[in-house]
Amino acid sequence: MIDALFNQPNYLAAKKTLDAVALRQEAIASNIANLETPGYQRLDIAPNFQAELDHACASRDAGQFAALRPTLAPDPTAQPNGRDGNTVSLERELMLMSQNTLTNALETQLVSGTFSKLRMAITGKT
Amino acid sequence: MIQILSGIQNTAAALDAERTRIDVISQNIANANNTHDLNGKPYQRQVVVFESALKQAMNGEPASQLPVLQVARIERDSRPGQSIYSPGNPDADDHDMVVMPNISISEEMADMINASRSFEANLAVVKNARQMAMQTLAMGRH
Repeated sequence: MIDALFNQPNYLAAKKTLDAVALRQEAIASNIANLETPGYQRLDIAPNFQAELDHACASRDAGQFAALRPTLAPDPTAQPNGRDGNTVSLERELMLMSQNTLTNALETQLVSGTFSKLRMAITGKT
Repeated sequence: MIQILSGIQNTAAALDAERTRIDVISQNIANANNTHDLNGKPYQRQVVVFESALKQAMNGEPASQLPVLQVARIERDSRPGQSIYSPGNPDADDHDMVVMPNISISEEMADMINASRSFEANLAVVKNARQMAMQTLAMGRH
């Protein structure tokens, strides 16, 4: 019965996005670490994750959310910016990192909001 | 072990590698005028070669899928050094010419700035990862 409290689509979506944000931070850390490694291909979340998340949000089905697994894949759209074949651009990575941190702030606040609303419903106090 | 800061192993390895690079650059600058190395020849410029490798599984932890930066090897730069006229120098040849090390200070300085900027970029990643971890730890507080 308590499961129902934590099966709301919004909460599940926030949780999966947090997973993706943590994984993306790892990808960005790896990209910046390999800024000068010849032939390195920049990594990012596999592009199908966003589509699957949208699909799960539209279906509002807890099973679909549970099946979501963000994975990392080399970014096929990135172009090498020098002759060594490395596709990392520092400016782009730093920008994505700030964006990622803000997404993390947003999602943690959404999850916190869910918790505090539950607490309010249980105790009747704000 | 639980990983609170995401991607931190990779960043630590990169900081380590950049550190090695700065060490080698400082060695190059220190030996810019060294015409008599241990083998009796002029000092040869050294270059750090980076490579990325997948971390092996160890201590029961799963192997990481992320390529970790590491120093592959430190190579000698085989470019010839400049010869200068210096009569009386013990290292001079029959024509009073001395072969200097193949080091250009401006090249080393540019490399050093590059290395320290990369170091800073990796520190920025640590800062961000920490900020994200703090947000996660504060989850559920009001």
